[in-house]
Amino acid sequence: MSSLLYAVGHTTVSIALGRTATVALESMVIGALIGFGAGAGVARMFHAPTVQGMGAFRTLGELNACENDPAAHFSFGLGFFFHAWASAVGTGALTSDVDHRIVPHGAAALSMARRGSRRAAGTLHDPRRMAVVGAAVGLVLVTVLNTTAAAVPHSLQQVAADVLGPASAWLINPVMPVVFWMAAVDAGRRTGGWGTALGGLAHVVMGNAVPGIVLGIVVGKGVDELGWTRVTRVLCGAVVALFAVSAVLRGVDLQLLHQMHADVPRWLRQIHHCTGTGPAT
Amino acid sequence: MRRRGARGKGPRDAPGEGGFWLSEGAFPLFAACLAAGIFAGTQLYYVHRTGTFSDVAVTALLKAGIDTGSYGAAAAFGAGFLFARVVEGPMVGILDIGGSLQTGVGIGIPALLLAAGVTAPLEHFWLAVPTGAVLGALIGAVVLAVRRATVHSAGGGGSTFGADVMMGAGNAAGRYLGPLVIIAAATASLPVGLGATLGAALFYRWRKPLTGGAVLGAMLFGVFFPITGK
Repeated sequence: MSSLLYAVGHTTVSIALGRTATVALESMVIGALIGFGAGAGVARMFHAPTVQGMGAFRTLGELNACENDPAAHFSFGLGFFFHAWASAVGTGALTSDVDHRIVPHGAAALSMARRGSRRAAGTLHDPRRMAVVGAAVGLVLVTVLNTTAAAVPHSLQQVAADVLGPASAWLINPVMPVVFWMAAVDAGRRTGGWGTALGGLAHVVMGNAVPGIVLGIVVGKGVDELGWTRVTRVLCGAVVALFAVSAVLRGVDLQLLHQMHADVPRWLRQIHHCTGTGPAT
Repeated sequence: MRRRGARGKGPRDAPGEGGFWLSEGAFPLFAACLAAGIFAGTQLYYVHRTGTFSDVAVTALLKAGIDTGSYGAAAAFGAGFLFARVVEGPMVGILDIGGSLQTGVGIGIPALLLAAGVTAPLEHFWLAVPTGAVLGALIGAVVLAVRRATVHSAGGGGSTFGADVMMGAGNAAGRYLGPLVIIAAATASLPVGLGATLGAALFYRWRKPLTGGAVLGAMLFGVFFPITGK
């Protein structure tokens, strides 16, 4: 039945009931899974570095910026919910904000409101509560995003796309690189040096300086506190390997030679052709 | 089942550092859950064209692959990010979901599979969930192994590798979003900019974080004064 409707769905624009039901059921499972994982991972971030967390530094900062206020968490999540909704309508991409912002803030707001307390210890910082509430938030959220994307008012879509789109793009580049860069520079001469070198290189190789600055802080602080031991040498080797592999995978070597008006050797071009790597154009 | 196990140790508001939910062994489980959902989301996109957990630009890479059959760009981008984040994650104590799972498991690995001609996990939901779960558990295990070899090894004890510096920077970065939303709103249209400013000012007066106020104000004014778009 549903496989028949799959075939029909490719040719007709109208949404068959069977297709919507399939999408809704699968979305519920998906939403519960991502909500559970993201909720627990985000709560564990507050116990890092002793506990391995999962999320992002910007998620951590944004959660802290809400100062344990349920209303602030809710409105923050709501804004990005409309952003994700607008994106889902046009492109089918729910955006990375679902895991990074909407689920964590939604789960935080709900658990704080339910407990009626502003103590983060029993709510935002508790992996068990965040995982369970996160699963519930994710279940509803992903189902709504995948099945009702076309229902969002056009004016709200426009605001979300024109306001939150640029604001979060600016945050990722250049605001976050600059903030991390200044933190590295202020953390000591060695950390600042490594951060600057790897940060600039990372923007060249990966298109964003933050991963490089973070690795620069890791190497610089590691060497500051431990000296050049086996651990720091392995670390440094891994960083060098990472940059080399990323450069080849993204075809930065070809681009660099091209922009220096040098000829690209045949063998290099051949390697990229065989492995299917190269600049994404 | 698992919840009961954690509860069995006595009802607590926040589990201590020894509790299951904060234990090291639980990390691959959470990573597996998240990765299973993200991979299944990509399956949903492959079949129904909705549901990836990546941003528009990254999803466009995969779509270009599906449309043209050339998955090189998506595979390289996703796999490169996955590698970078798996090295970085254990050092700083935070595995970046966006790079490792959303881009790596959600875009990079599906692109690799499709390029190799393996389409089954992306066509069937019941195959996609376990595939994603296995991938997530593997990534979680690798992160823990790297962590044990570096930060938690005998030679690495006593250093946090600058995690405090990065926490501080992360917190600072979060605060920048409020002003950025107001600037973007005022750039998009004047009424929406006024709404965002008013909302942020009121929230600040009420001692609430101003980002939420800016977002709500922009939305509210955007409904009454729609942005005359392109």
